[in-house]
Amino acid sequence: MKPPSSRAIRAYGRLLWLLRGRDLEEQRAIKDDAELLLDAARARGRGALAATWVALMLDLVIVGAGHDFARAFRSLVRAPGFTLTVSVLLALGVAATTTLFALVNAVLLKPLPYDNPERLVMVWESNVPQKRLREGPAPGNVDDWVAHNDAFEALTAWWTAPATLRGRDGSAPVTGVQVTKGFFEVFRRAPLLGRTFADREYLGRPSIASGRTGGLEPVLVLSHRLWQSLGADPALIGGTVYVEGRNWRVLGVMPADFAVPDVGAAFWTPWDMREAYRGARFPDGPPRDFRFLRVVGRVKPGLSREGATARMEFLAARLAADHPRTNSDWSVQLVPLREELVRSSRTELLLVFGAVSSLLLLVCANVASLAIARSAARAREMAIRLALGAGRTRIIREHLAETALCAVLTALVAIVFTTGSLGTAIAFAPADIPRLHEVDVNARVVSFAMAVALLVAIIGVLLPGLRGSATAIASALRDGAPVSGQSASRVRHALVVAEIGVTVVLLVGAGLLARSFAGLRRVEAGFDVRNLLVLRFAPDVTRYRGAQLVSDYYGRVLNAISELPGVASVAAVTVLPMSTIGSDFYRPYWLESARPDGNTVPQANVRMATPGYFTTLGLPLVSGREFSAQDALDAPRVIMINESLARSAWKGQEPVGRTLILDYQGGPTPRQVVGVVRDARYHGPRSNPEPEIFIPHAQNPYLVMNVVVRTTIDPGALAQTARAQASKVDPDQPVHSVTTMERLLDDSMQQDRFAMLFVALFAAAGLVTAATGVYALLAYTVAQRRREIAVRMALGASSYAVARLIVMESLMLALVGSVVGALGVAAVSRLVRSVLFGIEPQDPLTLGITVAVLLTVVLAASWLPARRAARINPVSAMRI
Amino acid sequence: MLPLKPKVLHVLLALADGPRHGYGIMQEVAARTDGHVRVWPAAMYGTLRELEDLDLIAESETRPGDDDERRRYFALTPLGTRVLSAEVRRLKAIVDHARASRALRKARRA
Repeated sequence: MKPPSSRAIRAYGRLLWLLRGRDLEEQRAIKDDAELLLDAARARGRGALAATWVALMLDLVIVGAGHDFARAFRSLVRAPGFTLTVSVLLALGVAATTTLFALVNAVLLKPLPYDNPERLVMVWESNVPQKRLREGPAPGNVDDWVAHNDAFEALTAWWTAPATLRGRDGSAPVTGVQVTKGFFEVFRRAPLLGRTFADREYLGRPSIASGRTGGLEPVLVLSHRLWQSLGADPALIGGTVYVEGRNWRVLGVMPADFAVPDVGAAFWTPWDMREAYRGARFPDGPPRDFRFLRVVGRVKPGLSREGATARMEFLAARLAADHPRTNSDWSVQLVPLREELVRSSRTELLLVFGAVSSLLLLVCANVASLAIARSAARAREMAIRLALGAGRTRIIREHLAETALCAVLTALVAIVFTTGSLGTAIAFAPADIPRLHEVDVNARVVSFAMAVALLVAIIGVLLPGLRGSATAIASALRDGAPVSGQSASRVRHALVVAEIGVTVVLLVGAGLLARSFAGLRRVEAGFDVRNLLVLRFAPDVTRYRGAQLVSDYYGRVLNAISELPGVASVAAVTVLPMSTIGSDFYRPYWLESARPDGNTVPQANVRMATPGYFTTLGLPLVSGREFSAQDALDAPRVIMINESLARSAWKGQEPVGRTLILDYQGGPTPRQVVGVVRDARYHGPRSNPEPEIFIPHAQNPYLVMNVVVRTTIDPGALAQTARAQASKVDPDQPVHSVTTMERLLDDSMQQDRFAMLFVALFAAAGLVTAATGVYALLAYTVAQRRREIAVRMALGASSYAVARLIVMESLMLALVGSVVGALGVAAVSRLVRSVLFGIEPQDPLTLGITVAVLLTVVLAASWLPARRAARINPVSAMRI
Repeated sequence: MLPLKPKVLHVLLALADGPRHGYGIMQEVAARTDGHVRVWPAAMYGTLRELEDLDLIAESETRPGDDDERRRYFALTPLGTRVLSAEVRRLKAIVDHARASRALRKARRA
């Protein structure tokens, strides 16, 4: 009776033949020895038998694979041009994709560094009739939400305030975050050192901006960055730092990746809103119509976002019924925190990712085309091997090994490239992409690179290789026959058409973005943005308390700067056009002393400005006069308004001299309109002008101001002297930032610029790749059809006719490719439309230019092959 | 040619006492190393072929009379013997050097 393993041994023998298929005698010796080993192991029991089987199989596979890899390696080394081209092309494509993936991973995919981050939502107040859908909630409403909501485990609010930190080396401007009770419980992050605030520590603490001294000692938790810049001394915990004119007790330090609301946060300090809004000015406690807070809540476990939204909407409806004057029509909107963080960058990143993927596709197609040409050239070698008895499986396995080698090589090179290029990519990315500081090459990024490398190697090397191995032996061996089949050439044509299609999509995208960007630049800001210097001030609230002190301080600062040579005029305002910094107040106003219903009260942005502000900015006066030194604290209350407000409030009648009631600090107060100014776009070129009311700074002295300087020389050259001059007024008050208006305008278009440059770059790369593809294909075709062309010429075809043959082929490719591309453009137009400004994705001019560019490039690429075809010497070509 | 790969050294050592067939080499290597080192057939025949190509071993004519005639016997060539002893000398020098080092002496005493 045969031993039970005889069938297994036979299988072993077959596998052996498959993997080594070389020397029959050796194979038999190996099989016999394996059988002896198994017999010996069987005597020692089942365990030993199983272990021996495993060892034998491993032995086979390792030896077999090593053999394949060695062969693949040799075959790659034999064709160094092919190997190098393929690896570098693929590696560049993979590296570009991986770099972008690292960015996308950090910004869009990586979970936020908080416990159960999917339960964190940002809460906004929204008013649909007024089309104000994302307003920072008002303190009074947040107070009620915290007390009565049944949707959140914890709910917190914060606002940021500029502050001045004084150390041994002088003063530095920093950003402090005022947080309400529950802040650290919502985010559930433990401090790196020390502790965060106990519940009782939130009560009765003074805020950064209150300027109140005395009472409870102020406390704060430092950001990792500020702690580092203070010397990273653990002994700082329990010590004090000097901020805004007094000492604050340091309780702890947060970890480096805790960036709420962003990386600019220098410290967090408790805020007691009931303490902040008490006394005669706030008889009703925290206000409900000052909407400026940022609110994040941790949704109760088991409750969906929809459920939480429903509960909060119910609560908001109750508040609207209880407080119709401030809350009617106001509801809430819950947005997942992650979505909130990436909201603005999502489209851009996806767009860029799309551009990169397209390039990767192009590279794949080119490599595949190369590999098809190579395998066509090797078809005869393959056919000979097949004829001599090499198994098809063997050849397939060699292709597999070759693919794996290519993939590993590609991945390695790509990871090296990525590590190098990430720094550059971050430097070029818009600074306001959130979480950019978290970008790194981590395990996920490396696995992504590996996966993409493998994928492109399969597409670019394996598939064409397998096609090549399917050659029919007889036809390939026929002497002198063209070695590549018709189908290989068809596939290559299809690949080139696809390349052209993808390039068309990239080109159209780049063209649209460029035209949109040009459109953005053309939009008038409303004033002359050149020669304007902008300095931001946030003087110490403990030192400058009271209207007179603040007015005096700014009076002296403006005076000091105006004395500098090269300064034409200087003024200050709370919020500048194009600048995101500064406090905007959206306040109700009405015309008669009878106040309308709560939900019909129109609102306007309220800004404080010093005399000469509009002259300095270059914003033309439409009628009336500007503020003057006479509009002082004790003078009659006056205001200026912009055209938008004049239109909506007086409907074409002259507003100057009329009275308007503004519900701002100190309650509704009648103020006389003294002037009307031209509209300006405050929030960048994409924004529309909104109604605005300006109050003389002297009548409502605000502490944090933007000083704007009209210069007669290059404003950048004046930056340092202006800063120095300003600090002479009070050396303890640093200038928080210095920039130019042109820079602010550029910054507001940074994302548009980034997207445009990026896509343009990739479109150019795509164009080159497609041109190479067309060239390679035509050159190959000419080489293949040498004999046919020679016959044609011998029969009387002119060089011109031959060249036309080749050029027509390239034109056909371009034409079919353009049609494919147009379909692609239609497919992505929805994504593109959201980032375009003043232009439609089907813009005919852009499409026309694209096709023209493409045709030119394709014709150029076909020139050399066509010339070569035209110069074929019929005699020498037909001799062989 | 030195240093030899561990597998190669073991195969050559197994042949040091006289010609053996493939299965004998596997058994000898396992026996000499108490089963710590095993060579497996597919890899071993590859090694044997390489050693043959390098002229370190050769197929042996002498074989026990009662054996299966299909079996191939291998023996060290004179070059193989020289290479093996050179490798052993090299390894011995390393062992001597290690023994002379103070740290290892101390470790042994402890």
